[in-house]
Amino acid sequence: MESTNRYHKALPRRPTRGPLDASDPTSNPLSSPTALPHQQSSGLSSPSRYHTPRLPSPNTGSNLSSTPSFKTATSTLPLTQKDFPHLLRPEIYHPLTLIDVPPPFRTPASQPPPGASLPSLLHGGHFRSAAIKASQLLTDPSLNPSNHAEIFALVYTRLACLTLCNQTALAAQEVKSLEDLNSAHYRDENTGIHLMPWELRVLAVRLQGMGYADVRRGVMGYYDLAREARLNLGTVKKNLATLSEEGDEVEKADLEVEMQIYEGRLQELGVRVASALIEMEDLEGAARFLKTLSPSSTAEGPSRLDHQKALLYLCLGDVEAARACIASSSQETSHDNEAKVIHALSHIADANYGLSAPIWEELIASSPTDGRSEVAMYKQNLAVCYLYLGRIDDARFTLERLLAPHPASEPSSTFHALTFNLSTIYELCTERSRALKIGLAEKVAEILVEQREGGGGGGGGEKVNGDFKL
Amino acid sequence: MAHQRGAASSDAVKEPHSISLKVLRLSRPSLSIQHPLPLPTPSPSPSQSPGTHPTPSASLAYPSTKHDTFILSPLLTLPPAFGSAYVGETFSCTLCANNEILAGSSAAKTVANVRIEAEMKIPSSKVPMLLTLGPEVERVDTDTEVMEDEKRYGHGVDLAPGRSLQKVINFDLKEEGSHVLAVTVTYSETTATSGKVRTFRKLYQFVCKGCMVVRTKTGPLPSSCKGGKWALEAQLENCGEETITLDSVILEARKGFKSHGINWEVLREGEGVERPVLMPGDVQQVCFLVEEILGPDEREQEPVDGRLIFGILSLGWRGTMGNRGFLSTGDLGAKVTS
Repeated sequence: MESTNRYHKALPRRPTRGPLDASDPTSNPLSSPTALPHQQSSGLSSPSRYHTPRLPSPNTGSNLSSTPSFKTATSTLPLTQKDFPHLLRPEIYHPLTLIDVPPPFRTPASQPPPGASLPSLLHGGHFRSAAIKASQLLTDPSLNPSNHAEIFALVYTRLACLTLCNQTALAAQEVKSLEDLNSAHYRDENTGIHLMPWELRVLAVRLQGMGYADVRRGVMGYYDLAREARLNLGTVKKNLATLSEEGDEVEKADLEVEMQIYEGRLQELGVRVASALIEMEDLEGAARFLKTLSPSSTAEGPSRLDHQKALLYLCLGDVEAARACIASSSQETSHDNEAKVIHALSHIADANYGLSAPIWEELIASSPTDGRSEVAMYKQNLAVCYLYLGRIDDARFTLERLLAPHPASEPSSTFHALTFNLSTIYELCTERSRALKIGLAEKVAEILVEQREGGGGGGGGEKVNGDFKL
Repeated sequence: MAHQRGAASSDAVKEPHSISLKVLRLSRPSLSIQHPLPLPTPSPSPSQSPGTHPTPSASLAYPSTKHDTFILSPLLTLPPAFGSAYVGETFSCTLCANNEILAGSSAAKTVANVRIEAEMKIPSSKVPMLLTLGPEVERVDTDTEVMEDEKRYGHGVDLAPGRSLQKVINFDLKEEGSHVLAVTVTYSETTATSGKVRTFRKLYQFVCKGCMVVRTKTGPLPSSCKGGKWALEAQLENCGEETITLDSVILEARKGFKSHGINWEVLREGEGVERPVLMPGDVQQVCFLVEEILGPDEREQEPVDGRLIFGILSLGWRGTMGNRGFLSTGDLGAKVTS
């Protein structure tokens, strides 16, 4: 977690109950279209505006409520031409260097072939190259400034890839070029529909909060999005209610799909608000906020939310509250495993490493070996227990096996916490740990090349010196 | 931060040691942080995937098939740095003695009988305290294993090249100020022609700070019966740099007094305990009612130096990932006005 201590005293404790509670769209004043004045945002306003926290923002989303149906609107009304030349300026996009990349990952074998397409770069986990490629495509003169679908897809790729190659700070600078995400310029004049894809809007909220050094902005941005999702949800529900009398099955099914999308978005935004509060180190506020969320209606909903609460309580140090979260969990296998994870973590919080280790061992033993499970996490956590129990050899062996499994049919893991923990153990094992850490980086580079050649994609992605404590 | 002070070698041999010592403070491991990328909704089917999105698992802390959008993952990370040490906490540290002889090196040296000793020098005492080294001697079933264990733990262990001897120490921090962890490693080094016992000592200095400031105030309350009645209020301030959760705050009453807290543990029906969370700089106010218990012949408690002593306040808290802290105040009481 980045240190944001200086925000502690400045942050007022505010009740975070809000429009994210999906159960009843009419209960919250924020969700009512009449509660907000219909106000056109002033286009792309001057940047100085962003330095002050926004009040309940000029909400162009509110004009959606007058749209009878989100779906029919798109199909019947012509799209208006909007230009976005301000996103195509080359000076926005920073050059990326290999300075932070350990030498084993700079070899030709580790680098993508020149001229590789963006999808192939993404598939291979070459996120740095993909970020560069995206900015090249954005600044290419042949790109039509009114081709908003292409532009926003590339901006998303650029920003997402920057966060995946340890360049979140750069992404936070570049995202400023989007300026006011609620600007009317980003909306279709006839339908009021936002032209950016949803995932870009969600991503931009967090990055702009960082870029403008105003962490609360992130939370408010999520609330803006939630307000819009709730309005749409209300409209869809209303349409569904009127439709069911007439009984058009196809249209009804479409509306139900749409309803699920908006409900899913509200759920996700709820979790993202909690995450934003945690990121600004307001763990208590996050805990209070999570309590206000109602579990989603999906099968994994209740246990997922309890699991998240339990993790947060562990972070806060309230081990009893963490245990209480899973006390009521159901006994089905997958939920049962999540409960066991919390049990094992609670033992660690109590410094009972000896009680935690057998739970991880049991979870590993009962897991399938096809890699489609949480077994990598179980093994890593078991290794951590071993170290605290004074069994450094076992810890090292467990982590090394996770990296290079035996038999080799099991998938290799190369995630950050694994290489970080292994590097920490190497530092404990010898004065010459640098050689071991470089050896580890070489091994990981080799594994990634193999995975790419095997067509399995490069989920492991980009590595930096910090991954190996180099 | 811990500073390693200049290694004081107690033998005059200039030759580098065959054994190295490495330490790591074992604060609680932390939950790994992740920033899952938002995915398109509705998720595009694989066939029509635009190819502009990184693999969903790329932004997760570990390759999980569940796409969780929460920032905390259950994956544990070892402590990245020494951090701050606070009064009331248990200081845990692991010590590793490592055989640094390169396998197959020309000088055929072997090391045996490696032993670690650790002491803690605290501000109030000139004499360092000897620390117990964990892990505890393991359970043994047969006599030969007992001997084996004694050999391993009592008289040092033989280390092959590249191998490590790991020990864990725990020490309750009770004082503010400079602490020094002194670790001595002793081993015998044998070459083809000679053998000798070698030893070296390393010092690690760190500063222990206060995490909790307690201010108290006592006020008399009107009492219907003969004994006195008081309200003892206390302000608990988190002056550390980490968020903590108060676990228990108890006024341990002396003989002759009884107390009961009127704090968060007092619940209405259907309410769950909600332990107070103190962010750095936060203050929590607590209050206790104290009643005097009269002696057999209705005698009141005797004041000492013009004060009635009620007892002590003991506090327990949990920091990040459950790290425990305990603190007791000195005697608390009320002035007798006569």
